[in-house]
Amino acid sequence: MTEIVLETTGLTKYYGGRLAVDHLDLKVPRGCICGFLGRNGAGKTTVIKMLLGLLEPTAGSARLLGCDAAALTPSVRQRIGYVTEGHRLFRWMHIGRLEAFQKAFYPKQWDGRFFADMIEYFGLSTKQKIKDLSNGQRAQVSLALALAPNPELLIMDDPTLGLDAAIRRQFLEGMIELITRQGRTVLFSSHILGDVERVADRLVVIDKGVLRADCSLEQFRTSIRKVVVHFEHAAPAEVGLEGVVHCRRGEKQLELTLVGTGDAEIAAYAGQAAATRYDFVEINLEDQFIEFTAPPNHRRLFQWEEK
Amino acid sequence: MTLWIQISSGSEKPIYVQLVEQVSEAIARGALSAGDRLPAVRALAAELVINPNTVARAYTILEQNGLVTTKTGSGTFVSDPRLRRGDAAQINLLAGRMDTVITRGLNLGLGRAALVALFEERLKKFMGGSDKGSAGND
Amino acid sequence: MRFLALVRKELRECLPWLLLAGLLLLVAGAWMLRYEAEYVQEKLAQPPRLAPGSAVIHAYRLTRPHLLGGPAKWLCVLAPGLGLALGIRHFWMPLYTRTWSFLLHRSVSRLTILLAKCAAAVAAFVVSLGVVWTVLYWYARRPDVFVIPASARELVVGWIYIALGLVVYLATALSALSTARWYTTRIFGLLLAGLATIIVLSQWNLGRVAVLLVLTLLVLASQTVAAFLDREF
Repeated sequence: MTEIVLETTGLTKYYGGRLAVDHLDLKVPRGCICGFLGRNGAGKTTVIKMLLGLLEPTAGSARLLGCDAAALTPSVRQRIGYVTEGHRLFRWMHIGRLEAFQKAFYPKQWDGRFFADMIEYFGLSTKQKIKDLSNGQRAQVSLALALAPNPELLIMDDPTLGLDAAIRRQFLEGMIELITRQGRTVLFSSHILGDVERVADRLVVIDKGVLRADCSLEQFRTSIRKVVVHFEHAAPAEVGLEGVVHCRRGEKQLELTLVGTGDAEIAAYAGQAAATRYDFVEINLEDQFIEFTAPPNHRRLFQWEEK
Repeated sequence: MTLWIQISSGSEKPIYVQLVEQVSEAIARGALSAGDRLPAVRALAAELVINPNTVARAYTILEQNGLVTTKTGSGTFVSDPRLRRGDAAQINLLAGRMDTVITRGLNLGLGRAALVALFEERLKKFMGGSDKGSAGND
Repeated sequence: MRFLALVRKELRECLPWLLLAGLLLLVAGAWMLRYEAEYVQEKLAQPPRLAPGSAVIHAYRLTRPHLLGGPAKWLCVLAPGLGLALGIRHFWMPLYTRTWSFLLHRSVSRLTILLAKCAAAVAAFVVSLGVVWTVLYWYARRPDVFVIPASARELVVGWIYIALGLVVYLATALSALSTARWYTTRIFGLLLAGLATIIVLSQWNLGRVAVLLVLTLLVLASQTVAAFLDREF
């Protein structure tokens, strides 16, 4: 049984009367890269801030590396790296001074060589002031600052928002570099599904504050499918199949988008509805995500235990 | 031995499937010979910027398909073609795919002879005009 | 090590204000004292007149408070001003630049982060206004320049004004940290600071004023600590 490095139990947050996060129960095992997906305003940043003790949950709790998130001890914080939303750093400092500041808090773990290499790789100089850097360069500094202490758990809040493809790729490289070291875990929220697909092995999907999926990427990919069912005469008006989130009607066919429906059920339905044949259509992660989060009337939860 | 792998994210094909297909194709074309060592999981993951678990999964599938063998500690190597035997299920799957191609061809007006000629031409081009590749000794 | 890193950073952020306040006090105070010193020397050089009441006027002119005359008025404005500037820099600016998230994720307790800010503010006051005031006092004590040197009371009054500056600092901090509506805790600190200012300026019994300031500081400090530890960023 893999160790769980991050878990939440009924994590809830109310802002006045508005429910921002609704009883989240999630578990992130050690050694994975977990992509945290959700549409704008779904509650991702709120969850991340609660995980880091910046916001207090209205109800429920979270535990990071075995420690209560609302009361993270300094020694546990030392093992957690955090890339903040917007990469906001002290504008008046230059990179060298910022490094010295950060380094003071990770006395035994700081990898100065690694930091210097990253800064050089990014084409930056330690004399440059943060206020003179572009958004992308600030993001690069943020990444270097978070990776140099070799954290056990790295949490990144939408780290590539508004950044160009080259810098996004550097972030992915950084994540991969970290994950190849023993026992590291990464949680990052993102809108860029292509990036998530590349590096994540787990997915957490949150929609309007509600957890919709907490499973491996492969389970997500194989559970949301499109199937085109062909009929000899007109396609039926009603579709008696469980898990249909979207149905497009052609003259003699139905294109069904299914969530969590097994092969056997599909075959049974096809037989029952007297379909001539049915074909699976492969869809990419982005389309899967859109289908999964779009329909208002099917609020199912995807959660599987790793066997 | 050169192994060029191109991964595209946002594709309908999951990344591990792309890996499996490309390695399989490389073995089939003879770009990888029996005994060649595949890149280490971490190295390939770092180069392609994908999760190492994805690479590991692809290697596992390749091993299940009989195309590679893993020796703990040493790495993953292309298997001996003489030891590769597809099971009935895999061959059935292949036959099903062939049916798709045949259907297409017949619908396009290609006759039987034309289809066979087309198949031979593609096979020849695929294998580089040599006898290399995992055709086996049948 | 970590505490020092924090204090260093906070102090560096105060630096322009620290220097400005210290410099202003030094220049204004020195100029005023110098002017006064010259006036005293000039008066001493003249032979005494015996016009009715003139001797009394002379004596008064020679014994008037040196520091409390002009420089103290400057300090009275500079100390709260510095307190306000530092309070804004330490507590309001991070809200504006959104750097709280980064700062709070440190391997120290949250209280330590607050203490570092306060320590830096105290150091700023001591190093700029405190040192300058003490230097001015030392100058005003020179018997070859002033006939009657400055009294210790003047030194103490200056330090009381500096303490007032700290009161304003904490009040500003509290206004940034408090998430209550404006008409309750947010301006509570500022009101308290205002009240303290009025009482201090009336230069009441020094001992009582000092006690009042200490009490005010304690109240504001505890409120600030509570607000900081609870606040959501």
